[in-house]
Amino acid sequence: MTTSQPSTAAKPWDTPDAVPFMQIKNITKKFGSVVAVENVSLDVYKGEIFCLLGGSGCGKSTLLRMLSGFEVPTSGQIIIDGEDQAGVAPYDRQTNMMFQSYALFPHMTVEKNIAYGLKRDGLPKKEIATRVTDILSLVQMDGFATRKPHQLSGGQRQRVALARSLVKKPKLLMLDEPLGALDKKLREETQFELIKIQESLGVTFVVVTHDQEEAMTLSSRIGVMNKGEIVQVGTPHEIYEFPRNRFVADFIGSVNLFEGRIKEDGENHVVIASPEAGTDIYVPYAVSGVEGQQIAIAVRPEKMEISKADLGEMRNRTTGTVDEIAYMGNVSVYHVLLDSGKRVRVSQSNRTRSNEDAPTYGDRVNLGWAGRAGVVVTA
Amino acid sequence: MGQQSRFLKIVALLGFIFLYAPIVSLVIFSFNESKLVTVWGGFSTKWYAELFRDPQILEAAWVSIKIALISATLAIVIGTVGSFVLIRFKKFRTKGLLSMMITAPLVMPEVIIGLSLLLLFVAMQGLIGWPGGRGMMTIIIAHSTFGAAYAAVVIQSRLVDMDLSIEEAAQDLGAKPVRVFFDVTLPVIAPALLSGWLLVFTLSLDDLVIASFVSGPGASTLPMVVFSKVRLGVSPDVNALATIIIGIVSLGIIAAALQISRSKKHGAER
Repeated sequence: MTTSQPSTAAKPWDTPDAVPFMQIKNITKKFGSVVAVENVSLDVYKGEIFCLLGGSGCGKSTLLRMLSGFEVPTSGQIIIDGEDQAGVAPYDRQTNMMFQSYALFPHMTVEKNIAYGLKRDGLPKKEIATRVTDILSLVQMDGFATRKPHQLSGGQRQRVALARSLVKKPKLLMLDEPLGALDKKLREETQFELIKIQESLGVTFVVVTHDQEEAMTLSSRIGVMNKGEIVQVGTPHEIYEFPRNRFVADFIGSVNLFEGRIKEDGENHVVIASPEAGTDIYVPYAVSGVEGQQIAIAVRPEKMEISKADLGEMRNRTTGTVDEIAYMGNVSVYHVLLDSGKRVRVSQSNRTRSNEDAPTYGDRVNLGWAGRAGVVVTA
Repeated sequence: MGQQSRFLKIVALLGFIFLYAPIVSLVIFSFNESKLVTVWGGFSTKWYAELFRDPQILEAAWVSIKIALISATLAIVIGTVGSFVLIRFKKFRTKGLLSMMITAPLVMPEVIIGLSLLLLFVAMQGLIGWPGGRGMMTIIIAHSTFGAAYAAVVIQSRLVDMDLSIEEAAQDLGAKPVRVFFDVTLPVIAPALLSGWLLVFTLSLDDLVIASFVSGPGASTLPMVVFSKVRLGVSPDVNALATIIIGIVSLGIIAAALQISRSKKHGAER
């Protein structure tokens, strides 16, 4: 996974005296008796691309709408660039939003769409014209200025929407599922362009998405949301490799979770008895827990080995039967039924064009993974 | 397959004959030489000439058009405001009642609307001295009232379909709510306003019952004049008048259809 690093400082969130550009303090939003966002606190630093990631109804869009002023928090505080946003109307905020539906004005040309915000600021005509031209070339849409939105393709509309929200040079740009309406190929291209544009302008981005791949590619940091709460904040690498709890482990990528109990709590290792995995699992680092405590090990499918041959060199080993194989081209995903009845996914990259020794349906196979491959999740 | 399509063709043909035969015969007989409406006496345009010499009809036509223009415009303004309140405002206590009340004139018998408005006008004149007597003003008020109900239905459906985020985007870019309404909402719902306006205009031109109730001396609309003429026996110049109206309405419908198909082709409706 590629991650874009903010241009200002390498990792401001790890620097103790760094001042956050946007602070969300204990924000709660209730709709009647339904709690949409519960006690969320978050710091976002200048120049970041921060992704709020979560399933539908997790409160991420509500949080975004509170940042842009369309919803009023039930309690809590939002501070952007040192200014408390309480009581500031959407049209007075120095933030802009790129809407999921793009929300282009259907009766205006591309040019007029982009110029609309600048006109509201009462800028001189000449400056408006230059800024519109500049932003159009930035999003590679020069030559489309006089088109109406309905004459554009989905990808082109997305660029116009981006240009319109960027042209006012907002302090904070919010993007609601920015690539959701594009097809896969276009989405991948646009992701990197979005990062390039963000880096060249230095605007802080807050992105809402349900697509974990999008979040991983775009963001400097990700905040994973579930049921109105932020469950983990971290870089894509941290979120993927060190999920803090079962929800994050399961939501980001796919994962095999083995439930078990701590059998041996050593100084620099633990052994977890997991009848589900059909073996004792060795973890080569200390875990805060007591013997007998219920615990789970998360192992990513790509970090496991599968073979008909013996995997003697692997620290953790178990056996099972191949139940299903999903061939995806670059990788094959094996669904292996362990003797405990637990289903395990193992992915193997297809390095050669055909492999005679590859396991097939119904084969007895050995599974193995290194001690450090698994992550202990307690919550 | 062929059998079925022939059957469908025959049914369609019968349907069209049923709908249009009376109109076609009316048009034909408007060019009748004879004074007797049902006997063909040769081709002539004399009834048209007669029509344009009849000051009563010309006067009534002018009154009707003035009333229709003003009440269609008023109805659209009232209908837009009403729809906006009903669709865009957050839920308030009397919202359900209000939305039922705004569409009530659609199902209320015209006689009752006419009678109740008449009683209201009389009572108001007694209390505050306005409107002074019955005439064009009272017909305009009556027509804008029931016209607003039709306009509200047309405009509401458009507002419901409209993507709210377009308005939010305008606000986000720095436009205050009033600006958003004029810059974004109004242009987007403009087609609905136009079709609502045309609808109310036609209804107003067409209305006989309500106008008869609330009209006074000196303010006779075209339908009222036609109706009183027909009561004395159908005269061929009414046929001529009807033919002219049909011609104008057809042109209007064709223009509207062209406009709609053009905007669809361009995908202006998104």
